[in-house]
Amino acid sequence: MSELLEFLRQLFTDPFGLLDIPVREWVTDAVNWIVRTFRDFFRSYVSPPVRGVMELFQWALSSVPPLVFLALAYVIAWRAASWRVAAFTVIAFTFIGFMGVWDQMIITLSLIATAVFFCILIGLPIGILCSRSDWFYTVVRPVLDIMQTTPPFVYLIPAVMLFSIGNVPGLIATIIFAMPPMIRLTNLGIRQVETQYIEAAVAFGSTPREILWKVQVPLALPTIMAGINQTIMLSLSMVVIAAIIGAGGLGLEVYAGLERLNIGQAFVGGIAIVLLAMVLDRVTQGLGEKGPASRAKRSE
Amino acid sequence: MIRAEGITKIFGPDGQSILPLLEQGMTKDEIQAETGHVVGVRDANFEIEAGEVFCIMGLSGSGKSTLIRCINRLIEPTAGRIFLNDGESGEREITAMDDGELRELRKRDMSMVFQHFALFPHRTVLANTVYGLEIQRRNAEESLQIGRRVLDMVGLGGWEESYPHELSGGMQQRVGLARALATEARVLLMDEPFSALDPLIKVNMQQELVRIQKDLERTILFITHDLDEAMRIGDQIAIMDAGEVVQIGNPEEILINPKTEYVANFVEHADPTGVLTAGTIALRFDEDQFKRVDDSGDLIYYVRRSDPEGARFGVDRDQRLRAVVPAGHRESVELVGLDDIAERAADETSDGGRRDDLALRCDEQAVLRTVLKGRSCSTVPTVVTDADGRLLGIIDEPELIRGILDKKGHGEQADSNGAGVEPASGGESKP
Ligand SMILES: Nc1ncnc2c1ncn2[C@@H]1O[C@H](COP(=O)(O)OP(=O)(O)OP(=O)(O)O)[C@@H](O)[C@H]1O
Ligand SMILES: [Mg+2]
Repeated sequence: MSELLEFLRQLFTDPFGLLDIPVREWVTDAVNWIVRTFRDFFRSYVSPPVRGVMELFQWALSSVPPLVFLALAYVIAWRAASWRVAAFTVIAFTFIGFMGVWDQMIITLSLIATAVFFCILIGLPIGILCSRSDWFYTVVRPVLDIMQTTPPFVYLIPAVMLFSIGNVPGLIATIIFAMPPMIRLTNLGIRQVETQYIEAAVAFGSTPREILWKVQVPLALPTIMAGINQTIMLSLSMVVIAAIIGAGGLGLEVYAGLERLNIGQAFVGGIAIVLLAMVLDRVTQGLGEKGPASRAKRSE
Repeated sequence: MIRAEGITKIFGPDGQSILPLLEQGMTKDEIQAETGHVVGVRDANFEIEAGEVFCIMGLSGSGKSTLIRCINRLIEPTAGRIFLNDGESGEREITAMDDGELRELRKRDMSMVFQHFALFPHRTVLANTVYGLEIQRRNAEESLQIGRRVLDMVGLGGWEESYPHELSGGMQQRVGLARALATEARVLLMDEPFSALDPLIKVNMQQELVRIQKDLERTILFITHDLDEAMRIGDQIAIMDAGEVVQIGNPEEILINPKTEYVANFVEHADPTGVLTAGTIALRFDEDQFKRVDDSGDLIYYVRRSDPEGARFGVDRDQRLRAVVPAGHRESVELVGLDDIAERAADETSDGGRRDDLALRCDEQAVLRTVLKGRSCSTVPTVVTDADGRLLGIIDEPELIRGILDKKGHGEQADSNGAGVEPASGGESKP
């Protein structure tokens, strides 16, 4: 009788003490198991290509003399957007150089280029698949939500356990965090293509593949470019976090500055990141607006 | 070439379930009110011969686009069967084709012009034009050549590298036309292909289309809102009302004999001068209308009963027309074919006067417009003869006026007068 009373009392005052779901242990065990089982696989098959691409970008970017780099940046920004953007680009890069963080900027730029490269490589096909199969999209969607909303700090540790510290785990975390918009916007862009164009393609006997590559993807390009733009922005936002687990560049500048309470150093890194973000944003946006498909859209 | 049997399209979640209601004779509005399904096309049957232009007309929402889209199965018909017979591979049932066969069909045998153009905005005019050829995997060089030629044909030479949004509506429409013509498919499905063109270009395009159709033996399904356009280029015209094909016939049939009020309203303002033929409007040469006045000589002379003092027409024993004696004349005057009079008018009666000493002759197929033109240089009734020169009838002022105003010939009039006499036809009528 008193046991029953005791139970009722607890049910009232502390119902959640009655049962303990050991998610903590489960996750710890699962991560340990994954790390044990797949560490070798990841270190020998995932790390090398990521590191390889990263080093390639870094080599290419750092072997260009700064003045040539500025000239190239001007031409690219001018072709992609406008002479205003081009002028801003050159001023921003020059300022970064005079602040003394040119080399760090080159490292960050190659980190971002690598992350974006893999986001497109993986995200574009997944996005296309999502647009063609409702079933597949319903499966992928919650995964994207998880990737986007889980605080990156949570998967930094497993990333380190799998890849040890350095640029690679930072890149992996960045790729996971920055890929969702690529997938979402590719899917959205393709689904948004007006049926009249699909019908016209069908009426001339196009195969599904021809419809995809000749009509859907080109018409979705402005939206896909918006996805790439967002991916770049998200990659930049991961720069500091990636520095915590050993990635270099401007992020490290900020992180190290904060750790040593050197506010000036942290600010220089921060300003350089913001400038880089603005340049990349304007240039990729310009790129998205330049294609014939988006020109047509604007004049409608 | 194309045969359609009972094509029905019902839009909505369960079209099949509506078919029995259609059989019970429920109307489009009733079905929509009760079940929420929309009847797009209802039991359409027709047959189109190779090389024909088949025009579809009807009010907005009457199901024209739906019907034409069923032919290449851009819209899946709810019921009914469609057959294609191109003379080579025998008769094939389009409605039974699988995806691969359907693609082949759309690639080679049928192409389409869309009501709202549906040009690819990311492709240049030329790239749009060669899209079908690209899908056919034609050699790129050859495709571009064909593309340029077709663009020239529709009057867009020089615009190859522009993008669709840089073109006016009418120009875009012609790109859509070029895209469909480039594939050299034998069946063209054209959903209001000329709707955005100005009248001048429109007439050019119509002539071009008729030329293409004649030269290359294309079979054309053509939707239009313009009755005169349909009359000008259509071999058959189908008129649709609320999803139903209410009448199919050649332009003249539709014009002189509309089956329903709806069709009659439709054709009320049509221009009959290019459609009605001499055979239809002529006063038939038979006992009811003509009186024998003199058969003393070799020829037998007749006058019109309603105008006994008017012109006399002399025929021989085989009913061949030999003489036309206008009122006030004693001798037969010269008989000139309608085709020849145009040239003669140019040099002889250039003063514009109408002569009373010249009679015109035409055959049954001559349209009202040419008869009228001829009449501007002669006051004598025009005679209609067959290939052997037998007199079939005459056309005088009353016939012309009735033709223009009532779009009617004498045939029906005789009927409605209750004369009970079949209108004379061919050489059998022996007054
Ligand atoms: N995809 C669709 N879903 C539902 N109803 C449709 C659909 N397409 C057409 N309809 C309906 O079918 C009917 C016929 O439409 P259709 O487009 O064939 O008309 P139309 O004769 O081509 O008209 P217009 O001259 O305006 O082009 C209309 O009542 C329309 O509402
Ligand atoms: Mg329509």
